Amino acid sequence: MKRTLLTSLFALCGAFAPLAAQEHWWNDDASYVTQITSSAIVAERPLGEIGQQKSVIDSATLHLTVAQSMADILTYNSSVFVKQYGRGSLATVSFRGTAASHTQVTWNGMKINSPMLGMTDFSMIPSYFTDSAAMLHGSSSLAVAGGGLGGAVLLNTEPTSTRGWDLSGVFGFGSFNTYDGFLKLNYGNERWQTSTRIAATESRNDFTYRNYKKKEYTYDAAGIPNGSYYPIDTNRCGGITDLHLMQEVYYKTDGGDRLGLSAWFTHSVRGVPLLSVDYRAGASYNNSQSENTLRAVAGWDRTGNKYILSAKAGWLHTKQGYDFERDKGNGTMVSMVQSRSNINTIHGSMDGKWFPAPKLMLHGQMAAYQHFVTSTDRNAMAMNGSKIAIGYDEARFESSLYLGAKWSPTRRLGLSAALREELYGDKLTPLIPVVNIDYLICDELTFKASGSRNYRYPTLNDLYFLPGGNPDLKPESGLSYDAGLFFSKTFRDRLSLNASASWFDSYIDNWIVWIPTFKGYWTPRNVLRVHAYGIESKAQGKWRISRDWMCEASGNFAWTPSINHGDPAEWAPEAIGKQLVYVPLFSSSAVVSLAWTSWKLTYKWCHYSERFTTSDNDITTKIGRVLPYYMNDIVLEKRLGTKAGLVSFKLAVNNLFNEEYESVLNRPMPRRNFEFFIEITPDFKH
Amino acid sequence: MSLFRRILPLITLFCAVSCMEYGPAQEETFATDLSHRGLFIICEGNYMYGNASLSYYDPETKEIQNEIFARSNAFPIGDVAQSMTINNGLCWTVVNNSGVIFALDPVTFKEKRRITGFTSPRYIHFTGSGKAYVTQIWDPRIYIVDPDKCTVTGYIETGMDFETGSTEMMVEKDGYVYVNCWSYQNRILKIDTATDRIINELVVGIQPSAIIKDGYGKLWAITDGGYEGSPYGHERATLVKIDADNFVIEKTFTFDYGSTPRGLTASGDGKTIYWINDGVYSMDAASETLPAEPIIEPLGTIFYALIVDPTNGDIYVSDAVDYTSNGVMRRYSAAGNLIDTFRVGINPGNFCWREAQ
Repeated sequence: MKRTLLTSLFALCGAFAPLAAQEHWWNDDASYVTQITSSAIVAERPLGEIGQQKSVIDSATLHLTVAQSMADILTYNSSVFVKQYGRGSLATVSFRGTAASHTQVTWNGMKINSPMLGMTDFSMIPSYFTDSAAMLHGSSSLAVAGGGLGGAVLLNTEPTSTRGWDLSGVFGFGSFNTYDGFLKLNYGNERWQTSTRIAATESRNDFTYRNYKKKEYTYDAAGIPNGSYYPIDTNRCGGITDLHLMQEVYYKTDGGDRLGLSAWFTHSVRGVPLLSVDYRAGASYNNSQSENTLRAVAGWDRTGNKYILSAKAGWLHTKQGYDFERDKGNGTMVSMVQSRSNINTIHGSMDGKWFPAPKLMLHGQMAAYQHFVTSTDRNAMAMNGSKIAIGYDEARFESSLYLGAKWSPTRRLGLSAALREELYGDKLTPLIPVVNIDYLICDELTFKASGSRNYRYPTLNDLYFLPGGNPDLKPESGLSYDAGLFFSKTFRDRLSLNASASWFDSYIDNWIVWIPTFKGYWTPRNVLRVHAYGIESKAQGKWRISRDWMCEASGNFAWTPSINHGDPAEWAPEAIGKQLVYVPLFSSSAVVSLAWTSWKLTYKWCHYSERFTTSDNDITTKIGRVLPYYMNDIVLEKRLGTKAGLVSFKLAVNNLFNEEYESVLNRPMPRRNFEFFIEITPDFKH
Repeated sequence: MSLFRRILPLITLFCAVSCMEYGPAQEETFATDLSHRGLFIICEGNYMYGNASLSYYDPETKEIQNEIFARSNAFPIGDVAQSMTINNGLCWTVVNNSGVIFALDPVTFKEKRRITGFTSPRYIHFTGSGKAYVTQIWDPRIYIVDPDKCTVTGYIETGMDFETGSTEMMVEKDGYVYVNCWSYQNRILKIDTATDRIINELVVGIQPSAIIKDGYGKLWAITDGGYEGSPYGHERATLVKIDADNFVIEKTFTFDYGSTPRGLTASGDGKTIYWINDGVYSMDAASETLPAEPIIEPLGTIFYALIVDPTNGDIYVSDAVDYTSNGVMRRYSAAGNLIDTFRVGINPGNFCWREAQ
């Protein structure tokens, strides 16, 4: 079957080959080089972005290979910390030394953080399902939502400008019995744009690794041990089956109105790999999680001469399950843990921007979320012998109101002030103020600064999870400010550079931590005061070397001390003044691509410094260190442009130097592995 | 060509900063003094971190060695080390969430044997007839193992199901093994070691978390009372005295609502019972009332587990600190005076004495 599929693919590619011609990776006009700098020039800056610390990831980066999740994208293209529990496993994102739940995530304007856990699994977001992505760092996240003590990630799909039909498909296969497929069909005319996307991934994910966390012994003829070795183990219970479907419809009126509907369905069944220190036979266990999620957003926006209005309504439905089963020894699987959760969220929001004067913008925003959550963790046997599900069934209304003004009194100066107020259940957070300023020092250099308060209220699991939920939790509160310099310059339309460096500083009180109890379960408590500060910097450049050569490079670096300043009476004195667990002090990444005519080589590199696994930052331990992490990947691409369309071939080599490593303690990662992709885009216009 | 020359340093730079230090640990040699008694401290580590460890303390020299398993064997012991029992010259260490039992040499700490095939083992008890019982959580069966061949030879069915089945500590008296059933359970099982069958069970209260035997042949169990909102019920924690011969409750001592007593243990002669309830309490095994005052006052930290030196009555209390950093052991005299303090691994939750030879 697989052979037939491959043969068909190559045959299809063969049909394009005779007409192959060179196709550049870039537009021949100068705008391709200069586009990275234009948005940073203050004179042309949108009023809405005054003082904002925003990083944008372009679609070329997002669509490098179909196998990438947003976790992979952010790992190599930002300085945020992406904590990956293994290949195809949970991946969370945190900014500036904060926790994953301090990152707010929106999709087409709707928050998609789990109301139960507060965080988002970025491994479940295929990058091909995102047309544009941006990160708002620190206080800047308040422009879209409260609670982003670290920042926010904005994911969007966008209408194309298709006229007629557009089709593209990607097929990939790789190591560990991995198969990826993606299909996108667009249709558009003057008024309508529709887009249908399908992505599927299937992987046995059964990579092997030298397990230094176990030892096997060899014995002589008398049965006496005479040697030992570290075995080659297989990643157990790690299989992946993901299917994503997305349908978008947009309609544009003559009067400047645009209506849109985006619906994204995900079906996923993923194994939860066993730890490398687990001696249970993977074949005897089923340790897996499943998810069916539908996210749908309907929107309207209208752009007038002096205003921009938009309204959205959304629905988010998620059904998740976790199963831990074992074979009794007779082929019968019995359930040991069967967790189920059902989330329904109804969302509505309105956003209005009014420009009463050319350099003044008033901004109002209101968003509401109604969550309905049913969660059962396991079944218990009641005293009378009947089974009772242990869990909770709760609903919570959340809303947020934002009012702000942005003013640019002179060409060089931009000022912004705003207030946000949030309601969760029957509780109001204190008023959240945010101020921003930016100043054009010279045409290439801008100074930006901001300061704010922020609050993140407890999640539904924090409050109600049974056992352990703590209804007395207080919201986490943060006070933060940042300031930085942003440089942008283009040299003779051949070279453009864009760089920034910012200092940030924030204090977070009542940090929520789950800790064990003497009764065998965990409970959340407000225990920490954290001082997170440091430097974020990034640089990006494009250099058109000659007509046939183009080089692009980007780099990110962050120094993020995130220090526990909890009360020693409540917390361990040895942990005071120490870096938080699993927050790297340094993180950096770089991507360099070199294109020659229709060839392109992309080199990706990232680094995280040691992540401590104990609150006292013990580095004398032999068993609890997650050592610095360096990863190198490359992607080689070849495009063939024809009258019939475009074909591109991509070969991705992950973990180029065949490193043995862990990203999280005792969760092995794969060594060097390969993926090959064929992307076909027929041209229906010829 | 010149272009490649330009980018070559960059590629070299990437390569230079791309080598990770990951690989086998160094193996160390231990040879503990056989003429000294020693205390093994079983440190659970954090669930799903795989950072459990063993520590070894010499009470005479006050020397502490941490992570002895990993240092001696050059690999970690696993995820959630639960308990240790010394039998036939080997330290049988149960590693709960790794599903394994390691048998170690008590002097060198080298692994000598290994038993696998468990679901989630908690404790091992040797019956004296060439077999051992292993209790489980997430599995209602008590596994019967052959410690010589390191194989699972059979199961004792308990009648519970896999979701809520839980068997925990074991004590033996007169050929019967008594097992407390803890998580979402309320009873003590009585097993006939001759037939490997449960012959009786006794309801003692919600979630009996520990069971011991005193010097008078009585059994003692602590129940934690469950938790607020539990569908299984929530009640006050209790200390239960059981007449093992007739398998009936002789006396129930009830704690204040919200108390979480734990760390039940006995003195060497079995005439004094000890437990933790914020502070450390002791009670004559013949007493009719709970003590009003602790013998060791709470320190505002997390007293986690407790053991008493059977030879001199010294009390060893572990402190979990904040559950995510290395724990602290405090050694007190029988009168409650602090003798020594030392650091051990994360979440020290159980102990095992090695006698001098």
